[in-house]
Amino acid sequence: MIKRILALDGVNAVCHFRDDGALVEGYGLMDHKELVRLAKFAHDYRRMAQGNADQLSMFTGMRGWTPPRGWVVGGQGFSACCVASIVCVVDNRECAINEVLTELQEVSRW
Amino acid sequence: MAMLEQLVTLPGALASFEFRGSGELLAYTIKEPTILDLDTLDLLAHMCAANMSIATMQARGWEKMTDMKGFYPVGQFTLVGFDWSVVVSGVRREMKKKAGEDYLPPFVGVVIANQKADYEAAFKALEETGELR
Repeated sequence: MIKRILALDGVNAVCHFRDDGALVEGYGLMDHKELVRLAKFAHDYRRMAQGNADQLSMFTGMRGWTPPRGWVVGGQGFSACCVASIVCVVDNRECAINEVLTELQEVSRW
Repeated sequence: MAMLEQLVTLPGALASFEFRGSGELLAYTIKEPTILDLDTLDLLAHMCAANMSIATMQARGWEKMTDMKGFYPVGQFTLVGFDWSVVVSGVRREMKKKAGEDYLPPFVGVVIANQKADYEAAFKALEETGELR
């Protein structure tokens, strides 16, 4: 079902990863080897971002940060967007981030 | 300061802030009434600096390993928390770096409520912050 993310403008690749970072399924303009790497990268970054958000909450006592829903890292040409255990790589020139995040949240509930 | 005040007019914005790459909070505007305080913004700035640094390291490694370009340097980072999000940008900083300028502006960020969040508007506003300096 994550294939429907690929139908959005600017989405180049999408993959679903397991809790240990292994690729479950992936599609798009990357070969299998790159999709495996993307899954690993997204899993590692998610753990780090989640850990930092947990510490922010713990140190400040402010609710509403954890558990985080996702993250976006934007480079000059491409961005990586992740919600739960689904990550996609998008072309900044063509992509509508609001739409991508909404769709990732929707798909991650399945 | 005008820039930070303009950023808190974004949909759902709670606060805007500037910080160094080391995470040090330089300036901020908090929209009243608020649940945010200075200590939280200070730690949030440090968290964003840490996340930008790790993302930069990963983008660098990814480009070397895959030969795919367009990820480095990292210009923006967004954390979508459970109820709140934070969007930070170093895009103007990168542009000045590329132009060979000596003075690099700080990173700029905005805290927004997820319910009203418009991430694209936040990205655009943060990229345009250089015009308001």
